[in-house]
This record gives sequence, C-alpha cells and structure tokens, in this order.
Amino acid sequence: MAASCARTVGSFLGKCGSCSSSISAVTSQLSRQVLSRQICVSSALRRKNLAAAGPEKYTMEYIKKQVEEFDIGKRHLANMMGEDPENFTQEDIDVRVPCCLCGHPDQVFPKQRAIQWGEDRRPFHFLFYTGKQSYYTLMHETFGKILVIEKYQDRLRAKGLLTKDIKQISLSASRWLKKEELEELLVENISIQDYNRFIQLMESLLSMPYCTIEEEFVLRYRQNLEAQSRKQAMPVLERDERGVAFSTADGRRKTSDSTVTLRDCGSGRITINGRDYLQYFPVLQDREQLMFPLQFMGMLGRFDLECTVSGGGRSSQAGALRLAISRGLLSFLSDGEMENMRQAGLLTPDPRVRERKKPGQKKARKKFTWKKR
Amino acid sequence: MAASISGLLKPWTPRVCLVRWARYNPYYLEPEVRKEAYSRPEAELSPEEQEQRELKAHRPIKAATSGVTSSLFDDPVLSKFVNMIMKDGNKVLAKEIMTQTLEHIKRKQVEKYHKAPEGKKEEIECNPYFIFHQALENCKPVVGLASIQKGGKFYQVPIPLTDNRRRFLAMKWMITECRDNKHRRTHMYEKLSQELLAASIKEGNVIKKKHELHKMAEANRAYAHYRWW
Repeated sequence: MAASCARTVGSFLGKCGSCSSSISAVTSQLSRQVLSRQICVSSALRRKNLAAAGPEKYTMEYIKKQVEEFDIGKRHLANMMGEDPENFTQEDIDVRVPCCLCGHPDQVFPKQRAIQWGEDRRPFHFLFYTGKQSYYTLMHETFGKILVIEKYQDRLRAKGLLTKDIKQISLSASRWLKKEELEELLVENISIQDYNRFIQLMESLLSMPYCTIEEEFVLRYRQNLEAQSRKQAMPVLERDERGVAFSTADGRRKTSDSTVTLRDCGSGRITINGRDYLQYFPVLQDREQLMFPLQFMGMLGRFDLECTVSGGGRSSQAGALRLAISRGLLSFLSDGEMENMRQAGLLTPDPRVRERKKPGQKKARKKFTWKKR
Repeated sequence: MAASISGLLKPWTPRVCLVRWARYNPYYLEPEVRKEAYSRPEAELSPEEQEQRELKAHRPIKAATSGVTSSLFDDPVLSKFVNMIMKDGNKVLAKEIMTQTLEHIKRKQVEKYHKAPEGKKEEIECNPYFIFHQALENCKPVVGLASIQKGGKFYQVPIPLTDNRRRFLAMKWMITECRDNKHRRTHMYEKLSQELLAASIKEGNVIKKKHELHKMAEANRAYAHYRWW
C-alpha cells in the first residue's frame, strides 16, 4: 500500500517536474522544424507551421486530469503523514513537504480561456472578432453604468431633488488595479493605451456626483492598500535587574550610525559616547533634534538616554540619534501615538545622501562653462 | 544605507525626473510636525480633512528635516529667514545673527518703553517676534511685474503674486538692503534690527522699494491684458 502510494505521488511529482522540461523540449524541436522548413515552402504550409509553433495549449481534459491526480496525490500524502485526508490544505503540504515546487494545477498552468467557438465554429461572444473581447465587454459595461448614473441624475433633477452634497466613495484606502492585475482578471493581454483608456473611463465615472450607486462595481477594480503603520518594526521592551523598563534601537542618517538605550527612570539625563549632551552638541539645533521625539509625545523628563554615535558630521549624527530615539520610544507607545509619530515624519529614515560627482561636470550638478563654439 | 531604502514601493513613476527632492518617490507625503494637528478629535473634522487623514494612513511619509521641531519656539517663517541669511551652509552663524537681531530689537524697545510717559507705555510693542512678523507683512508687495514678449518688444506686465512669492520677495529685499546699503562698519544684526523696526512702522528703504514696485505696476496697468494665465 505504502509502495503504491509513493509510486503515485512520485509519478505525479515527477510529471510536474518533467512538464516544465518537456515544454522547452517541444518548443525547441518545433522551432528547429520551422527553421529547417523555411526554404521552398508554399504560403499555406507556412501558415500551418507558424500555428503549430505557437505556445503550448493545454486542453480542458488535460487540466481536469491534472487536478484529479493532484487531489489523489494530496490524499495519499495525508494518509502517509497520518493527517485527515478531507481537511488537508495547501498550507499543510507546504509545511510537510517544503521542497515541493509545484502547487495546485491552477497555479502551475497559466489561466487560459476555454475554446471560444461552438461545434459550428461560430464564436459565442458577439465581440469575439475584435480580438480583445473581455476588454471591450468591460468598457461596454462601464459605459453602461455611466448611462445608468446619468439617467438616475436626470430623474432626480426632474423631481427637483438634485443635491451636490452626497457622500462620495472613499478612495483613499485603495488604488486602481495595475495593468498586470487587470490582465489576470480578464485572462487577456491588453496594451498600455487600452489600460490608460480604461482608467480614464473609470475616473470619468467617479467624477459624477451620484457615482455611489455603482460603488460595488468600482471597488471590484480597486486594490485595497495596507495601512502603513502596520509595517513598522517595534523594538522589544526589556526589564533590567532593578525592574526598570528599557529598550534599545538603532538609527542611521547619511554616514552616521547610532544606538540608543531608553530607560524609564524619570531623570531625563542624556549621555552620548560617555559625554553629556550639552558638551557633545554645543549647537542648539542638534539638541532640539534630540528632544524632538520626546517633546512631540510629551515625555521629555521621563527617560534616561544612553547613546553611542559614530561617523558623519554634527547634523547627521543628530539626525541618526533622533531616528534611534523615535524607534526606541515605539515600545512605550500605543498604536494611535505611533501613527502620529509616523505622520510627523519621525519614523522614516532620511534617504538623502551626498550625490556623486559626474564625469563631464564640475560637481554633482554644476556644469562646465557653456561655450557657444 | 542606500540598500535598505531600495524597498520603496512604486505604484507610479514620473516621466520627468524632479530636480528637488529627487531621492524621494513622489508617492511620499509631507510630514505634519505641529502637535495641535493631532489633538483634534474625529468629530471636529470636516469631510475633506477626514479624507486627508484616511489618505495619510495609507501613504508613506517623508522624514522631517533637521530644521523643524514640534516645539512652540519653532517658527517656519523665522527658519526660512535664517536659511536666506545663511551663506555657504554656515547655519550656526546665520542663527547667531538672527538671535542677536531679536535681542537687539528687544533691548531697543525696552529702552523706549522705560523712557516713554505713562500714557504711551501700552502702545510700545516689546515682543521681537511680533515686530519681525509685522515688518515682513508690511514689506510684502501685492502685485509683481513680469517681462512678457509681445510683437518683438518686452513689456513689464503687472501680475498677481502667490503668497510664497510675496514672502520670499519681502525677505530678499530686507537682506539685500541690509547687506548693500548700510555703513560697512556696523554689524549685520544692528543693520537688520534697524531695518525691521523701521519696516514695522512702515518707514525705511524696503517699504520705499515696495511702494516703487506698486507705482510701476500702476503705471503699466494698460498692459495688464497681456497676461494670459
């Protein structure tokens, strides 16, 4: 029983492994055939050869067979592992067999459309001969929605109920689908101009005041954006022997590196590289930058800072320390306060670095004197 | 460090490379540093402001520059003025000049306050920051002139100015006036304080320059229709 299971699974896995190599073998063979047949061949034959050399098309029966075999293989794997074959999900396969390169056949074989014409070789869709039937149906549908909204507006205007202040669709939490995502949705290739035209049409739909009646249609073509605050990495809040909470964080700016340990003592002393901050930063602006995150949160006298900084100049060291202090402060704050810090620009590392000098120019931007001749 | 920044997300890229702020993706929004903007509760905001908040929650924000803080003593107009005084990146010296100017203004005003009779004491303004803002307001021109070519000749056409441009011109005139037209042995802070005090009571060379510009604009009123924007 175990041997047969292994053989089936092995054969399935082997097939998946070999299918990728077989595709390349088949196409190279076909291209070789085309190249060798180019001399003295009639136009009709040439047309047939070009059709044969196209990308490998998978028939529906082939894919159905692959799906069935995948399911059987999955059940055998579940039996071998001792898991319940009914509820064996893809995540369990990834955990148990991490080296398994192929997933479900729907992910392995690219999504392609079923045959678009019937027995009498007449196409099903009325826009088949445009070449981009899904795209044109989508545009047609969108324009239909615009007409619906206009009709609704006219009806309201006739009744005298037309008002300007209606709740608009909230668009700030989402973005338009990218061209690749739209292609995936339509299972069809579209050009950049087609995509731009589609976005233009959707924007004109959104510009109408009563577009909220087609909100569901619009949101189908928008991708939700993740809230930025969830992408912050928080440092760990530790406790030392005396029970004082402290956290350590790093910061960088230009070529300076800094490390800061914030202790929740309540004294408000700041030590940088062993020296007092008043002695290390004689300029007021740098000390203001150190205090900025603490003052923003209103926790000026609460923490004891122990900092080390190296590299860069006076201003970049201050900037590096500021970033490190803001990061260290995160472990003492709630989510709302963290979002406020992020919007104040305290948590973004400053990407501005010195621009290199270019050949043919005096400095990074300054050019040599322009001579007319 | 540059390698860690390479994970910037790029939903759209501009076709023209921007000169200023070339390191930041245009997707990034400007930071809001003042504390008051975050203390307002949800109910108080208008729908546009709520929309703005929603947008800010989903977009990355640029880092705050090293010249700004959330402190009460941080004034954006004053910082701009200090940057304009600065030469060769010597911000320490520029800030020093500015603080000395404000101190000098304060000293002069306090002297005048103590010398004034009882009835006049309330009218004398001792706050140097107030005098500075007042002086700049008085120096701002309302209309500017643009050189527009029409039929082979260049005409000086009066045009409306944006708020930024007006502020910039006022500050520029103030600084050039102090650098060029004063006695060379006096310190910059003395020259600046004299000029600022004069401008706050609508006297002095900078105010004269503003009036001359207004007169020119009035004289060239006939060409105002040459403006096409």
